[in-house]
Amino acid sequence: MPSEMITLQLGQCGNQIGFEFWKQLCIEHGISPEGILEEYASAGSDRKDVFFYQADDDHYIPRAVLLDLEPRVIHTIMNSPYAKLYNPENVYLSKHGGGAGNNWASGYAQGEKLNEEVFDIINREADGSDNLEGFVLCHSIAGGTGSGMGSYILEHLSDRFPKKLVQTYSVFPNLDEISDVVVQPYNSLLTLKRLTESADCVMVLDNTALNRIASDRLHIQNPSFAQINTLVSTIMSASTATLRYPSYMNNDLISLVAPLIPTPRLHFLMTGYTPLTADHELNTAPKIRKTTVLDVMQRLLQPKNMMVSLSPDRTNQHCYISILNIIQGEVDPSQVHKSLQRIRERKLASFIPWGPASIQVALSRRSPYVHASHKVSGLLLANHTNISSLFDRCLQQFDKLRKREAFLEVFRKEPMFKDSLEEFDESRGVVDDLVQEYQAAATPDYVHWNPESSQI
Amino acid sequence: MIHDALLILWDCSHTTEAEQGTELVEYANQGDSEIFGRINDIAKSHHRIQRFVEATGFRSRKTHAGLKMCGLYSQALSEGFSEVLQSYKQDLMEVEGLVIGNHNYTLSFVYSYVEKYRGLFNTLNKIIDTIEQRKLTGCQILSLLHQYILTGNERVHEAVVKIFSCVNKVFVNQLCTWLLYGELKDPYEEFIILHNQTHPGVSDTFLTSPTSACEKSLVSTLQDTSLECGYTLNTNMIPYFMPLSLAQEILFIGKTIILFGFDPKKVKKNSSFVANRTLMPLQKLGVESRRFTIWEDKEAEFHEKLQKLKNPEVFEVCNLRGVIREIKECVTKHLWTVAVEEAQLIHELRLMKDFYLLGRGELFLELLRLTAHMLDKPTARTSTRDMNHAFQLAARAVFLSNSADIEKFCFELPYVKPNVSTNTTTGDDDSSTVADGWSSIILKYDFKWPLHLLFTPEVLARYNDMFRLLLRIKKTQHDLHALWKTYKQSTSFSMCQLHNKLMFLMDNLQHYMQADVLETNFSRLMDAVHRTNDFEKLKKAHANFLADILSQSFLTVTSSCDSDCSGDTTDSLNNPVFCNIMELLKLCHSFCGMSDTVADREAEDYYIRGYSDRFSKLVKQLMQLLVSLRDRPCGVYLARLLMRLDYNRWLSGEAQLTQSVTNMLRC
Repeated sequence: MPSEMITLQLGQCGNQIGFEFWKQLCIEHGISPEGILEEYASAGSDRKDVFFYQADDDHYIPRAVLLDLEPRVIHTIMNSPYAKLYNPENVYLSKHGGGAGNNWASGYAQGEKLNEEVFDIINREADGSDNLEGFVLCHSIAGGTGSGMGSYILEHLSDRFPKKLVQTYSVFPNLDEISDVVVQPYNSLLTLKRLTESADCVMVLDNTALNRIASDRLHIQNPSFAQINTLVSTIMSASTATLRYPSYMNNDLISLVAPLIPTPRLHFLMTGYTPLTADHELNTAPKIRKTTVLDVMQRLLQPKNMMVSLSPDRTNQHCYISILNIIQGEVDPSQVHKSLQRIRERKLASFIPWGPASIQVALSRRSPYVHASHKVSGLLLANHTNISSLFDRCLQQFDKLRKREAFLEVFRKEPMFKDSLEEFDESRGVVDDLVQEYQAAATPDYVHWNPESSQI
Repeated sequence: MIHDALLILWDCSHTTEAEQGTELVEYANQGDSEIFGRINDIAKSHHRIQRFVEATGFRSRKTHAGLKMCGLYSQALSEGFSEVLQSYKQDLMEVEGLVIGNHNYTLSFVYSYVEKYRGLFNTLNKIIDTIEQRKLTGCQILSLLHQYILTGNERVHEAVVKIFSCVNKVFVNQLCTWLLYGELKDPYEEFIILHNQTHPGVSDTFLTSPTSACEKSLVSTLQDTSLECGYTLNTNMIPYFMPLSLAQEILFIGKTIILFGFDPKKVKKNSSFVANRTLMPLQKLGVESRRFTIWEDKEAEFHEKLQKLKNPEVFEVCNLRGVIREIKECVTKHLWTVAVEEAQLIHELRLMKDFYLLGRGELFLELLRLTAHMLDKPTARTSTRDMNHAFQLAARAVFLSNSADIEKFCFELPYVKPNVSTNTTTGDDDSSTVADGWSSIILKYDFKWPLHLLFTPEVLARYNDMFRLLLRIKKTQHDLHALWKTYKQSTSFSMCQLHNKLMFLMDNLQHYMQADVLETNFSRLMDAVHRTNDFEKLKKAHANFLADILSQSFLTVTSSCDSDCSGDTTDSLNNPVFCNIMELLKLCHSFCGMSDTVADREAEDYYIRGYSDRFSKLVKQLMQLLVSLRDRPCGVYLARLLMRLDYNRWLSGEAQLTQSVTNMLRC
């Protein structure tokens, strides 16, 4: 089966969102928690095989690898009804179970130590597919396992599978509240370097924005992890909809990613989804709300629907590098052109001045087994230069800690930082360059832009 | 002398004109000669009519077979004539009796009896003249008579109506068997429909000539489904009072009924549709049972309605049209159930979209992966087999192999023998550059029985045009995407940018093709299909659909109307927009091949510069085409495509176009 994707779930956060993602896929494809195809879903024309493979006994098994250094989340999964869904050989828990202590360096070091075992699993999984297209990595950049071990795996995935795509769903920490992970800025920055250099496409899931959306748009006070993760799984399932429900185009990941990312390093994508409904609102809302393509496309361009919190663009200098809308539902195809025209005329989106750019619209089917509360819904995948403000904030937080030389001793314990903290400076340099490149990409001079570091 | 006159009037004496002149002078009273002359005139015209009747009548045909003036219509005409002459003969008998009884009657008395026939005879003679001069036969006679019905003279009117009804009977009978049973009882080729294998071009030329606009003729050629039974309209025979559309409807009904008789479920062994007379009786049984299902209980009703038309009072075009419409409705409804319900037309239409229009993207993506290397090369003898093998593999890979739909499709790569000899003729330029798979690949479709009405060879050829274009775009896009990861790691910014621009172009071209053109038109077609239950309307909607997608994909010729219908090969596609797009595709292709050939940095820069220049030149050209095509329908679609390409107004800025051109993109 062509264009298979292998999902790697790392750490507490990665496993949680991965769990939600598989739950969602099971529902959409009519697969029971035990992995057995439901009777009503046997005639489907969907492609389950992109993310699942079929075992001999008609079980559908996710192409997922679950990795964690501490047992809590994986145990929860293994005690849920979905326990039998996964291939138990693909679940890897470190033997000591002590976790990474929210320390990037510890996670990275343990990744190095466990590398043989982890890559054995990944290789076996890769060998089991006909034409593997790439990997999806779910992790958070703030903790220890997801960030540290994730970084190690990212670096080595591109070495071992140079032709395969590596896409990550990376959860950025909530900057509005004080985190219990004090070294979060260090972890984030170190991970960002790997995301910049080793990943092909990073889907930025910003916890700050997700919380804001949950409270503002869904009217949930103090949203729970589960509620936030439902948002994430909605996005993940919608962004893979064209792969799973075959249509005339965007049948493989590359065709989704390549048009969005015109330059090698600017591969951090924002997402947006509309309309959103919370479960508790479903009963009060009218049965199916009528949404049109234009509505959806316009709303997707509003910052409040963006799942990344950007600092306001006061000078109005930032712009889109590219946009892809995945529209699901009952769509009159002729509406697409009209909507595109309206948006262009009203200049609702500003684009880069140095190259061709447009809004691409992919129409996709929806799962027939899921009740849709809206006629049309849409996902936005956008490459926007203002995402640099998110990285900028990471840099600022990093600088604050670094200036005080706070909490560095936990890093010094690990071999990587024993002798020097050069890695920090190097990572800072990479992220700083990234911010600068994004800012440069908003200007016409980007064609002549050169990162300062490469000039030296 | 009176007896002379009577004899002449009875058409017994065959005196020549010269004799009469001399005779009359001797005997005549004053004035009598003139009256005799008049009587003589009447007698002469009667004589001509009589001769005509004898020559063409039923009895004459029996005696000397194979005369040129025979035929059912002229026979009926002569019968009508003799019927009209009956009253003349009666009058003549009456006057003869009177004259024999009383010798005092004068010549003018006799004349007073026959005078009233002068007008009638003149008219009849005029008819005869016209028929003889113009050599009219069959329905032309009917048409001619109909023209004479409207006359002020009541006697003439009555007589002509009488004659007309005689001829009309023949017509209505023929019409009746044709409409209800699809049989043509027409041994002399007099009916408006011709069973014709010798001149197949007749109907074609006549179908395309009245439509002036290019678009329309495309629609009509796509709609024109030769029913393969050799029946065409005999345009010469269509009476003047019958509109062409009505004649076409009549033809259609008969053809459809014949078609129902060819249901392969009933006639399996005789696969050839050419009606073979000797085989007809064998098929009769099948035809018979089918016929009843078409008409159900309406057969008698329609028959009666048609028979009523024999009455000249009822025979009006509007009545005829009314009956024919009713019958047609019944036929098309039946056709609907056979084609749409039994043959699952809507499902088949979706299949056409899924396969010919690459609706199943994942299948073709896999197919491209398996066969791109093969299609790049000139076709070999085994290409067709390899291609179909790959198709099966691809179908299996995406879990489609077990569906029956896959088996309806197969590929063909026509193998052209490379020229070994050196004898060069005019057409050798083509064969020296042997076509690669991309330009020659044909997707074949094995559809269910009555759907050849919709998917004629012409239609399938057009679908293949679309298929080849879409496949080429998809392939180019796929090649460019495959390079993405490579260029992501490269350091050359200009290289990256060029790749990016080409990819942008291909992505948007495909988005335009698939979303703006295909999806939009297909949903329109589906709407139309769901709204109607008339097969004809469906056929029209489908033809419109195909014509629209072809013109919106710039596959139709805009400059000249004539070449459009002539060839179905890609050579005739000289649409400037299409040529431009093909050039861009070629550019992308050579760009993708570059990485294999170019080794050092310098050469790479050189190539990149060359490709970039070519790219901007072609894009600029495309933009400028918009100006020249503004007034054409295809200009609107070009504007749509360019709106996508120039969404952030970068391309137009790069091409340094004037403000007015950029404004036009908004339309």
